Amino acid sequence: MATAAAKATPGIPAKATPMTSEERKVIFASSLGTVFEWYDFYLYGTLAVIIGKQFFSNLDPASQVIFSLLAFAAGFIVRPFGALVFGRLGDMIGRKYTFLVTILIMGMSTFIVGILPGYASIGVAAPVILIGLRMLQGLALGGEYGGAATYVAEHAPHGKRGAFTSWIQTTATLGLFLSLIVILGTRTVVGEEVFADWGWRVPFLVSIILLGISVWIRLSMNESPAFKKMKEEGKTSKAPLTESFGQWRNLKIVILALVGLTMGQAVVWYTGQFYALFFLTGPLKVDGATANVFIAIALLIGTPFFIVFGVLSDKIGRKPIIMAGCLLAALTYFPLFRALTQATNPDLAKAQATAQVSVLADPNECSFQFNPTGTAKFTSSCDIAKQVLAANSVSYGNVAASGPAKIKIGDKEIDAYTSQGLTADEAKAKDAAFKKTVVDALRAQGYPAKADPAKMNKLVIIAILTLLVIYVTMVYGPIAAMLVEMFPTRIRYTSMSLPYHIGNGWFGGLLPATGLAIVAQTGNMYNGLWYPVIFALITFVVGMLFVKETKDVDIYAKD
Amino acid sequence: MWKLAAGFIAFAAVAMWLLAAGSDVDISGEKHGIEAPPAPVSTAASNPS
Repeated sequence: MATAAAKATPGIPAKATPMTSEERKVIFASSLGTVFEWYDFYLYGTLAVIIGKQFFSNLDPASQVIFSLLAFAAGFIVRPFGALVFGRLGDMIGRKYTFLVTILIMGMSTFIVGILPGYASIGVAAPVILIGLRMLQGLALGGEYGGAATYVAEHAPHGKRGAFTSWIQTTATLGLFLSLIVILGTRTVVGEEVFADWGWRVPFLVSIILLGISVWIRLSMNESPAFKKMKEEGKTSKAPLTESFGQWRNLKIVILALVGLTMGQAVVWYTGQFYALFFLTGPLKVDGATANVFIAIALLIGTPFFIVFGVLSDKIGRKPIIMAGCLLAALTYFPLFRALTQATNPDLAKAQATAQVSVLADPNECSFQFNPTGTAKFTSSCDIAKQVLAANSVSYGNVAASGPAKIKIGDKEIDAYTSQGLTADEAKAKDAAFKKTVVDALRAQGYPAKADPAKMNKLVIIAILTLLVIYVTMVYGPIAAMLVEMFPTRIRYTSMSLPYHIGNGWFGGLLPATGLAIVAQTGNMYNGLWYPVIFALITFVVGMLFVKETKDVDIYAKD
Repeated sequence: MWKLAAGFIAFAAVAMWLLAAGSDVDISGEKHGIEAPPAPVSTAASNPS
């Protein structure tokens, strides 16, 4: 294949020629894999309750904790490990074949979940196999994004890598919409009852179609020209892991890619798409269906900006756009989320401004409620009091006191309880009574049970959510091109995959649980935003000081 | 390009039409635990939240 890359001169932007059919095919084939990745990401969220019921609900609590930790590991540990495994393969045997392997593993793992018998049929083997499949899938996922970005960038003409790779970034939205169409379409056709029984398997089974198309297209693709040339010259790396992470010269760039780019990109991305949704349905008490529509509209309007910023990054550079996205996010998150409260639930904003609430508790009884796997138990009176207030979107002050914790709402004091030493039934009864007392007192002070749709300023809500998505497109649109351009061809796949997955998996993935814990700890529902603000600022500072612009880099110079 | 834009809008419109039909689905992404209620036991303390 005659490559555009070979035709272009480094440093001189490519002419404004339309994309060739071969180039379109490269982008399509690569993006299909990442659509798959996101499709799975949403399936495992949307169907989590049904999957839990089918595979885990009959396990005893101790086994559930173990499986929770394994499921957690599948997302947080296995993916970066997959980045190392498949990155290494991609740099040694080639992009094309590694790419085929990752999509085959990913697609087959998803499909097999659709035919896997549940706990009721095969007992504990069902959750064991399910977790095994998620591990395999996580492993393959670790290699998918780096492969897609590398493959597309190595086919792109110089001066168009931002534009070409930005198409991959749109697949997050496409994966969401695809999962919604398949899940909701199936639910509508078969009905709720049948969907909970076996209909939930359909979205997993449908993945075989995606897999078939992806494999068929990828088999017809050529190896990346850069890798092919390097292989013909016998210059491929014999030890990509050692070259990537064992030599300070490259390791420092990997660290910079993580701290100066992907860390901030990830927290901005998670805040715009997931924390905003959580904020609407949680603290702001918007019903789920309405919140979903708001988010979907914002994504629909915002998604084309991935391409806009990808193209723009070819003209003005990747760094200014990504850094501006991080800085704008850090500076405006607090005012934007306060404005979101005012536009979405004005009654709540008014109650928060007028009704003083405090937790009077012994500080030694209060723990940091970080619970990413959902398995931790918070049983002290202080923790229980804070959880109930956080669940009701109450901003509260903390007052040091002795004895069991109390909640003070206006003039009314309510004793919290500890569930330590209580049976499950006793704890449940105490919990219900305590929550009712607190909620009644809050209603008396004007805290609403739900956001009133009649009082929502829908235009303002959509404008704010769209702006949050646009920040996402600023940091995420040019990131693939930038990561590719930071590393030489011989170790590119390995070197760029790891910082991407650590940044997005760890810093991004822990955002919801950490944000919630900060809110519960401090009593202010906006304080969870400190997590993305701090990490976005760190990335801005490190990126501005140490990360070099890459748009004019000749990615073949070191081959 | 216009074909892509039209396709994307049509694709998104179908998804939003299904969403707007009142379907409350969780679109907050992959969960990192297992969403299952514990098996009933008589002695363990429950998670009060």
